[in-house]
Amino acid sequence: MTIPTSSHPVSGNSKKPFWHILTSVRLAISLFILLAITSIIGTLIPQGESLHLYLEKYGPSMFQVIKVARLHDMYNSWWFIALLLLFAVNLVACTINRFPIISQLYKKDTSLQAVERLLKMPHSFVLSLPSAASFSKEDVNKILPAPVLSYDVENGRLFFKESGKWSYWGVYILHTSILIILAGALIGAIWGFKGQIMLAEGEKVSEAVERFTGKDFPLGFELYCEKFFVDFYDTGAPKEFRSDLVIFESGKEVLRKSIRVNEPLSYHGLTFYQSSYDAMPLITFTITSADGKKKVLSLPVSEKISWQEAGLSVGVMQFLPNIHGGQAAHVWIGDDGFPPEAIWFLKGAEKEFRRGNNIYKASITDVEQRYMTGLQVKKDPGVWVVWLGCAGMLLGFGVVFWVAHRRIWLWVGERNGRPTLILAGRTNKNNMQFERFFDEMEQKIRTMTGVKI
Amino acid sequence: MIFTSSYLLSLTTFIYLGAAVLYLIAWVFRVEKVGLLGTFATGIGFLAQTAGILLRWVESYQMGYGHAPLSNLYESLVFFSWMTILVYLFLEFRLKNRVIGVFSTPFASLAMAYASFSPNVHDEIQPLIPALKSNWLIAHVVTCFLGYSSFAIACGMGLMYLMKSKDYTTGLLSRLPSQKNLDELMHQTIFFGFLWLSVGIITGAVWANEAWGTYWSWDPKETWSLITWFVYAIALHARFVRGWMGKKIAYLSIIGFISVIFTYFGVNFLLSGLHSYGAPR
Ligand code: HEM
Repeated sequence: MTIPTSSHPVSGNSKKPFWHILTSVRLAISLFILLAITSIIGTLIPQGESLHLYLEKYGPSMFQVIKVARLHDMYNSWWFIALLLLFAVNLVACTINRFPIISQLYKKDTSLQAVERLLKMPHSFVLSLPSAASFSKEDVNKILPAPVLSYDVENGRLFFKESGKWSYWGVYILHTSILIILAGALIGAIWGFKGQIMLAEGEKVSEAVERFTGKDFPLGFELYCEKFFVDFYDTGAPKEFRSDLVIFESGKEVLRKSIRVNEPLSYHGLTFYQSSYDAMPLITFTITSADGKKKVLSLPVSEKISWQEAGLSVGVMQFLPNIHGGQAAHVWIGDDGFPPEAIWFLKGAEKEFRRGNNIYKASITDVEQRYMTGLQVKKDPGVWVVWLGCAGMLLGFGVVFWVAHRRIWLWVGERNGRPTLILAGRTNKNNMQFERFFDEMEQKIRTMTGVKI
Repeated sequence: MIFTSSYLLSLTTFIYLGAAVLYLIAWVFRVEKVGLLGTFATGIGFLAQTAGILLRWVESYQMGYGHAPLSNLYESLVFFSWMTILVYLFLEFRLKNRVIGVFSTPFASLAMAYASFSPNVHDEIQPLIPALKSNWLIAHVVTCFLGYSSFAIACGMGLMYLMKSKDYTTGLLSRLPSQKNLDELMHQTIFFGFLWLSVGIITGAVWANEAWGTYWSWDPKETWSLITWFVYAIALHARFVRGWMGKKIAYLSIIGFISVIFTYFGVNFLLSGLHSYGAPR
């Protein structure tokens, strides 16, 4: 490319060193290098773990470094964001700075050239014609389809044709769209929300938990999980996760959808994604007291439930789905004024236990496999801005890669007393492609004029 | 049964190796005809490989899984090799120059050899895990690999450039394209790869947004593809800083490809993240 670079500025900006640095491609390259290196650090140190894990893994002194430089959450650290901002500022400054240059380049009329200049073009060839009349205006039109500019130049006529001049703006489309993407990311970071919901089958929520702060975030409606399915291939690999969700607004069902890993549910700017699940067995426990009173209690793991009449509470501390070929639960019993105790129950096998003078018989009579679906909730008002930027970027790439500014001059006239034809051309990129194009044109002219090599 | 996909695919390893040798002979001993044979071999290899890939696709339906053969390390290596040959054949056709074949076909052959014979790579057809069940899988993988393959060839050109810059009076090296042309070719190939890598990153972002709810999560694979993207962005911008032509771009082209390889394997083998589906079991 023959375009002047911003590292040798053209305007008076060279007097302001700060602006000069800010607009330089050198700074851009330095930032690319810095961003690449710091990004590598972020892939070597696991991100977003809880702090004590880093202390264990890296030792106290390295831990201090990690904590101070925020290497455990590097991509959100102030200095990494600052680097990205500087990058954006560099891009803006560079764009502003180069605007007059590109604009000049775009406006500049280069059609009129002296014959001597034509011979010095990157591509040119000279042909002696049998006679001045052997290359007519129609012949010119066959080589350079209208419209062409033409001038009287020296002892002849100069014809000029150009294409793709607007492609100088391609880089602008590209760079601006990168800024748009960054802006979209910023909008998402400021006004967006990322959260988590763990929702058991048959239950409703109206709040999500914010991922970083742990605060509750009101959804503005109710989300109900009707059913969760998990399906496996014969190989044991998971095949499908699915949650059947229903949205209720002021008690009324408004939307029903099954979501899968690649099929989220969107409602009122919030999107719910299938992200994980938990198996949550619901254990049914039947207790009979010595006087024949019977109580059926159903509860999930790590919850406690009371049999008020007897003043007794039971809680499941641990559940083993497969032990000695059966299911077992470690059950806590207490709240009746006696020291609490923990007993293992095997499903179906009745056990006796004693609380003071009371004797109870108890057993696990049923275990129902219930699931809890793990949903990720997201609100990102910036995502459309990001997609807009991406589309612009692709467009910009297309223009920069495929569209070149090509110029062709054709001069026919008298030179050194002989009828002569000169073809000259230049392109701002894709030189080899242009060379082939130019050679074809040369070949065409030779056949038309009948002049052999 | 001879015509199974894995048979056809392991066969292409040797066809591409043969093609590389033929291109080399044509270059070293200046025999145009052998070069033509090289092109012929590459073409046959490409057809066999295409058939192998299509057959594997069919086989996955016969097994009841039914997905495009782009879902694990083995399949992605095969696809990388196929794409590299595709880009190379296009270049050979456009440039009418077979020397680049010496520096391109080995990449395809090596990728196939690694895929077919490494104990780390499992070639059985596996079912798709839920996260990969998306139409974006194909768009994402195809565009990324078009980028990676272009970068492989740009790396080959970088090597050619560096060989040429040491000594270009002897016969062998004088038959490489001129430094000026190599520089431009390298630039264009890098640009082409950069364009497709960008499309690959964008389709990946769209997909991630659909599957996980975030278009960008700084997962190691994503981050490494961004690092690769930065390296090539440097190569593209370096032209605008004085003195950064030719040799430095050639080095960047090689560094960039190392970064591609790391994005491709290193992340799977050494780091963990959302993309580690390609990891050995
Ligand atoms: C990640 C962000 C960026 C990408 C993807 C990008 C991409 C590109 C591409 C593809 C070109 C065209 C190269 C060619 O035609 O050979 C280019 C040119 C250029 N870039 Fe960037 N660029 C980025 C950031 C920047 C930044 C931060 C600067 C700040 C100085 C910058 C300054 C330039 C300049 C001055 C040109 C020359 C274009 C001209 O005016 O003709 N770029 N860029």
